[in-house]
Amino acid sequence: MEWFVKRLGISVLLVWLVATIVFLAIYLVPGDPAELLLSQGGAAPDPAIVEDLRDQLGLNRPVLEQYLHSMAGLLRGDLGYSMMDGAPIAGEIATRLPRTLELIGAAALISVLVGVSTGTLAAVGAGGAFDRIASALAGLGLAVPVFVVGTVAILVFAQSLRLVPAGGFVPFSQDPAQHLILLLMPAGTIAVGLSATMFRVTRSAVLEVTLRDYVRTARAKGLSFRRILTRHILRNALIPVVTVLALNLGTLLGGTVLVEYVFNWPGLSGLLVDAVNGRDYPAVVGVVLVISILFVTLNFVVDVLYAVLDPRVRHG
Amino acid sequence: MRISRRGFLVVGASLPLAGFAGKVMGQTSSGSSGKGGNLTIGLSSYPPNLQPWVNAGSAAGTMAALIHRGLLSFSADGQIQGELAESWERDGDTGWVFHLRQAKFQNGSPVRAEDIKWNLEQVADAKSTAYMRSQFQGVERIETPDERTVRLIMKQPTVAVPDWLATYFMPMVAPGTLSRDSFAVGAGPFKLKKLERGVSIDLEAFEGFYKPGMPKFETVRVVAYPDENLRVAALQSGDVDLIDYVPWAAMSQIEQDKNLRLDTTLGPYMYLTFNGRTGPFADARVRRAVALAIKRDDIVQSAFFGRGAPLEGLPLQEGTPYYDAARAHGWRRDLDAAKALLAEAGLSGGFSCTLLSTAQYGMHKNTAEVVQQNLADLNIVVNLHMPDWATRVALGNRGQYEFAVNGTAMESTDPDNLSSVLDDTAAPSFIRSTGITVPGLSALLHQGRAEFDTKKRRAIYAKVEDLVLQQAPFVGLAWRSQGYAMKANLQGFTNIPGPLSFYSATTLENASLA
Repeated sequence: MEWFVKRLGISVLLVWLVATIVFLAIYLVPGDPAELLLSQGGAAPDPAIVEDLRDQLGLNRPVLEQYLHSMAGLLRGDLGYSMMDGAPIAGEIATRLPRTLELIGAAALISVLVGVSTGTLAAVGAGGAFDRIASALAGLGLAVPVFVVGTVAILVFAQSLRLVPAGGFVPFSQDPAQHLILLLMPAGTIAVGLSATMFRVTRSAVLEVTLRDYVRTARAKGLSFRRILTRHILRNALIPVVTVLALNLGTLLGGTVLVEYVFNWPGLSGLLVDAVNGRDYPAVVGVVLVISILFVTLNFVVDVLYAVLDPRVRHG
Repeated sequence: MRISRRGFLVVGASLPLAGFAGKVMGQTSSGSSGKGGNLTIGLSSYPPNLQPWVNAGSAAGTMAALIHRGLLSFSADGQIQGELAESWERDGDTGWVFHLRQAKFQNGSPVRAEDIKWNLEQVADAKSTAYMRSQFQGVERIETPDERTVRLIMKQPTVAVPDWLATYFMPMVAPGTLSRDSFAVGAGPFKLKKLERGVSIDLEAFEGFYKPGMPKFETVRVVAYPDENLRVAALQSGDVDLIDYVPWAAMSQIEQDKNLRLDTTLGPYMYLTFNGRTGPFADARVRRAVALAIKRDDIVQSAFFGRGAPLEGLPLQEGTPYYDAARAHGWRRDLDAAKALLAEAGLSGGFSCTLLSTAQYGMHKNTAEVVQQNLADLNIVVNLHMPDWATRVALGNRGQYEFAVNGTAMESTDPDNLSSVLDDTAAPSFIRSTGITVPGLSALLHQGRAEFDTKKRRAIYAKVEDLVLQQAPFVGLAWRSQGYAMKANLQGFTNIPGPLSFYSATTLENASLA
């Protein structure tokens, strides 16, 4: 319990630090939201109009006052309003976050299915033809940047074969089938690199566990290969796989930006990039805060998963 | 019945979701033919907001052109035409009279002279953030002698009033419908139905639109595609019917596709601004030397894939009364003359300086790189500073640069628009040079704004052009091609020529898919 409370305290402190650093960083870099908003299309706004907008947006108040106002809002769960169009940030994140989580979730699912199964098969037949071909493909999957995979996928599947739309988003509630089709390409694109990572980690973990004493003992006991693989090898080999997957998922929370951009998937990363470009301060702080909370939570979940997969963690 | 490959995949994906398959079939094909069809537009960005009167960029302008109408607008051939005002005329030196037609706002209320007066007052209000605020603060009074007549009395004779009223910065909205979420009820051909912030905006035809038989489309769906390659792919794969900001690299490919049509015009342009407070660019001879050393064809090739034209003078459109062929090429590359000017300024050995641009937009970056290479011919060592756009704007507004690359378009073909990049008495802005005063220039610009006689105006702007060519407070670099691409069967949409290209969505009121 004490461990849990201490850990929770550290997590809260971490989140506050992130919010403060982001707030200060975005204020320190040059660029002014009012000026930018009124300079769209290369226009020169009247400085008096810019000042009026700065007043309306509260940007003329001292930075410390703005910071305290922002933090007080965060404590109340109020992330403020967009400086672009006055939309509530919390509402916007609530709309966008599930889309990014869905994208990451779908990519993770594809990666686990592809990476773990092929990684296990490659390890079982290490040195064989499948292992060599799969290892080479995994190398390729890791080497090709995600935007190249995405662009090629659009070129082949949307422009040439015309099997799927080039990109975009339709809410699931509006059109479930179209929603899933539009999810397919961005999720598949992320999954190319992630599957390759999963493949490599699974392959080496399975190979390592296969040499352990308890596997030899199980063989000596005359257990079937299938039973040894599922009960003894895979169960132990999955611990590093879960760790690597969790680390990658955490990175993907703010790192799906290229895929979201290439496929026009309106997720959280895209919102963050737009907010930084437009110097939409409340949106930047809000999105980074939510991502950091998720990251901290994800790490906690991984610890719990360790305990589930490895009884030594649970009891020790 | 033939099932397309995409249809087959859609049905396949729908199997676990039985009941949806039928609905999904054919969904990705956006348009249907004839009156009452649906149009899908792929826009280069999602409008930052839909607030009336604010300049929120070209995407917001496109939405305004679909939802709103002002007193006047620009027609497909670039002429000013009546909208809510069916006619207008001058009234003395400073007055303008507008005669309103029978029209309704989208909430059913009639458009009355009082409503127009209210709109103009909102724009000019001391706390307004309207783009045209300072222009309409030049209004002395507004009279409404009857329900269908508006009389506008300016403080000074102002030739540009109709131009201002024809822009999408001056929509007329129903009084009392401005809400916190910044939408307002307009009187345009389409009304707002639904929006998915950052993703798409759905519009439906306004049945009470004042032009008989318009709009022809029943619905318009606007989808934001910020990635230019995806925007093109969406058009090629049939997801959308029309796209804006066609990337220059894709123009040839679109021209060769018989199912598509490309419509381009030379409107926006790239140019250089200078900081004349200190350093070598305080000397007009150095600025002119720079102007004479640029290989503008290289910029057209490098930044616009050949889809543009050199801009060797002021950005006055060929074919307008103010275009002068000789002056238009006043800065044609002449390296010897450039070297002589530098020698005269005591800088024949060259110097080192920093050029501000941005890496966020390819055309700004590529233009800067060509300028850097060309100025090496004058022994000028140019270091490039290319932060993100927001930083570049801030540095420009504060005058924290030596010289800078910028791109813009005039708001109309009237030469009064030159003031925005040339008027040295205006407030500091990243779009014009800092700390450079050209004696007589501002006075000429003000004179041009107040002069109604075309012949006399032509003489005024010829003097403006001569002064700018000599003093180079602005150096033109290249016109760039502004393109729309569409399905070949989209009829009635026109890319309005020149700088008016950004108003082209106005013509969608009369567009249909054949």
